[in-house]
Amino acid sequence: MKSIRHLILALLPWALAACGPKPASTAGSPAVPTSDEEKKLNLYCWSEYIPQSVIDDFSKETGIKVSVENFSSNEEMVTKLLAGGGKYDLIQPSEYTVEALIRENQLLPINPAALGNLANISSEFRNMPYDAGNKFSIPYMAGFVGICVNTDKVKEPVKGFADVFTPAHKGRIVVLDDAREITSWAFAANKLGINDVTPENLEKVKPTLKKWLPLVKVYDSDSPKTSLKNGDVDLGVVWSGEAALLYRDDKKFAFVLPSEGSHLFVDSLAIPKMAAHPQNAHLFMNYILRPEVSRKISEAFPYYNPNSAARALLSNEEIANPASYPPAQDITRMQTFRDLGKQSAAIDELITQIKAGGK
Amino acid sequence: MLWLGLFVLLPTLLLILTSFSRRDDMGRVIYSLTLDNYARCLDATWLSIFGSSILYALVATLICVLVGYPAAYTIGRASPKNRRILLTLVMVPFWTSFLIRTYAWISILSQEGLANSLLLSAHIIPTPIGMMYTPFAIVLGLVYNYLPFMILPIYTSVEKLDNSLIEAAYDLGAGPLRAFSSVIIPLTRPGIAAGALLVFVPAIAMYAITTLMGGGSNPTIGEVIQNQFTRARNQPFGAALGVLLMLLFLVSFLLLGRKKSAPHAA
Amino acid sequence: MTEALAVGRKNFLRLPDGPTLVKWFCGSWTTMVFAFLYLPIFLLVLFSFNESKSGFDWQGFTFKWYEELFQNRILLRAFTNSLLIGTISTLLATGLGTLGAWMLYRYRFPLHRMMEAFIFVPMIMPEILMGVSLLVLFVNLSLPLSYLTVIIAHVTFTFPFVLVGMQARLQGMDPSLEEAAMDLGATPHQAFFKVILPYLTPAIASGALLAFSLSLDDYIVTVFVTGAESQTLPLKVYGMVRVGLNPQLNALSALGIVLTILLVFASERLKQSNSGE
Repeated sequence: MKSIRHLILALLPWALAACGPKPASTAGSPAVPTSDEEKKLNLYCWSEYIPQSVIDDFSKETGIKVSVENFSSNEEMVTKLLAGGGKYDLIQPSEYTVEALIRENQLLPINPAALGNLANISSEFRNMPYDAGNKFSIPYMAGFVGICVNTDKVKEPVKGFADVFTPAHKGRIVVLDDAREITSWAFAANKLGINDVTPENLEKVKPTLKKWLPLVKVYDSDSPKTSLKNGDVDLGVVWSGEAALLYRDDKKFAFVLPSEGSHLFVDSLAIPKMAAHPQNAHLFMNYILRPEVSRKISEAFPYYNPNSAARALLSNEEIANPASYPPAQDITRMQTFRDLGKQSAAIDELITQIKAGGK
Repeated sequence: MLWLGLFVLLPTLLLILTSFSRRDDMGRVIYSLTLDNYARCLDATWLSIFGSSILYALVATLICVLVGYPAAYTIGRASPKNRRILLTLVMVPFWTSFLIRTYAWISILSQEGLANSLLLSAHIIPTPIGMMYTPFAIVLGLVYNYLPFMILPIYTSVEKLDNSLIEAAYDLGAGPLRAFSSVIIPLTRPGIAAGALLVFVPAIAMYAITTLMGGGSNPTIGEVIQNQFTRARNQPFGAALGVLLMLLFLVSFLLLGRKKSAPHAA
Repeated sequence: MTEALAVGRKNFLRLPDGPTLVKWFCGSWTTMVFAFLYLPIFLLVLFSFNESKSGFDWQGFTFKWYEELFQNRILLRAFTNSLLIGTISTLLATGLGTLGAWMLYRYRFPLHRMMEAFIFVPMIMPEILMGVSLLVLFVNLSLPLSYLTVIIAHVTFTFPFVLVGMQARLQGMDPSLEEAAMDLGATPHQAFFKVILPYLTPAIASGALLAFSLSLDDYIVTVFVTGAESQTLPLKVYGMVRVGLNPQLNALSALGIVLTILLVFASERLKQSNSGE
């Protein structure tokens, strides 16, 4: 009940401000906007995805105290959010989760007037299928899933999944421990749309999966670069950011987008319906959209930065990292994951079955 | 007892309720009554995973007993001062985060890790052996993590061993083997049983270590249940699996208890 | 015969001299076990001084990770949270475990067997199930997620461990101990505190150690029941490790270990000077 009152109180000034003159801060000017809420922000984000320095600088500038809670998977976040346990002001869902949350009316619409830096977002991220027009979310970082190869150990060219999953590499492969991801690769290899998850299509890709999975040594979504670095595996299908980090430390780790097709993921920031400090949340979002701040994030997490103004600030070396910014990639051509609803269980069962050596 | 009621009973009831429920597209639980989830559990895939998890736990428990008993014995028979120090020293490694410990093991066992480097330079092996992400690694991880759980209870049994009983055994001409098998081990049986329980039971549902050390290609029931609550968004099914697990255990416990029926005071 | 006994009594705290083989075997075995236990720890501490961020390439000795650690307020805060929560939940869990074991041992009441079996539920329940169901429970009870909820959760899943260890000790107890105390005029209450409890001390100690370790290390249950201020160390560690091993963590662990060992020796010194062992 209290939060609803806060919500109304919070929205009132906006209603007034929307009518009145726009605030002085536009496009990244350092003027400190104010909000009428108490100076607190409950941030619920991925662990180690927002640099502490960024959070600290925000606090210093605005005087808002940020409490950070971390999650390690979208579903964990959704479970806790929907159970009502945590009262979060800002969450960091991935694109398919954004879609699901919008559908379930769990997100607060964004007030574009409060986000002066919105223009910094690159045009290809403005009208994504899961949230057209950035009504409920702004992109934080984007990335892909691709093939990372230790070129010291693997001498032949690797262009796609077919080159990865060969008997020659048996027991030397790492893949993400994500049933949905793995299935989407099989779909791509079988020329099926990655979001066309139907029981018939799952049956169609079963033989492919049965051929691929026994060749895999390690399943790891959290830190696939570990096994690559330790030499326990020679190549793998991993997040682009992980490959970028490897490449940064040692150029022997080449990265290539699979020829069969790849998809884009977009981690975003969104405001839950029951947020107690939505104004502060907007302030934080706007802060993230500043080019110099976004650049800092890119430095720490070399994914694909959706902020074009920030990209202009990146060093040549960063842009040259093939895992962060693959050459000649048309982002608009790539698909993103749509929310699958109940089918996620079917996918999980399929993969677990095959992993366990079943029929 | 109130505590037990509140914080154990209620979540368990909730769990059982969930296991009979359905879920919607978001993965939220719709409380209802259906046996679908249990029917799924009986599918061969899950049963075989149950089986392999139990096997891993069994092997790890056995190794823990064999490795841990002599150590617990030594500590239990040491001087009171040494006893306390040694006991705490056993626990100290476990006050570091288990994640860091496991990653340390990964760096030891991995292809370019410590073990391989040592073996290679000592010319014991020609090429590095892949020790990580194998059943061996899983068992090692489990044993490492649960060893203190075995040592501690055995220690408490050993500590109160009446020395004169052991002396008597030796005086009567028993060799060390006989003394152990006929006197010492039977006397410390409660400790061994407790240790085995404390290792076996949690080890079945353990998922973090098996995933990290095993690489995920040998899924355990813990991983499967974890998945249901995260990626698969199928909480009721995960709940059903969990309830089955607990039932399995409860039933065997009750059965064993009936056989044991040790007479207690009053 | 009496000579042998006399020798035995002199070597009271060591195995009788005859099977020295056993003594040597046990001694060396225990040393190996400790080596096994401490190998990763040793490496951990070593790498906390390594200039390079990752595993094996030794790039020089440095204290910089320790410096960074002391500036990492978040990590330090999480560390103190873990210690606080650990201590409180250990105290509660040990108390509950001891009382529970005693009650099960001493008294018969309806559903006794059921109760015994039920104790094991938190042990066998996979952590994520426990975490989620406790979360739902707390939300339904309108309990805000914070230190309290974490402590409740920790006590719930650690006290069975204490209890089981306690039961093992009780099973080997001479049942006439309590009788004897009461014959000498003690009430059951006094008998418990003055006779049984001291007997149970080793089990209490080892149970407490176990409970503390479990609490300190718990990740999954804590994730679901924690609020933003009560973030514990494993939560932060898990996050940091995902990005890549940070030697700050090694430094933290190394410090923790050194601290503990110092504490242990200090308390021994104290005990010695107090009771004149």
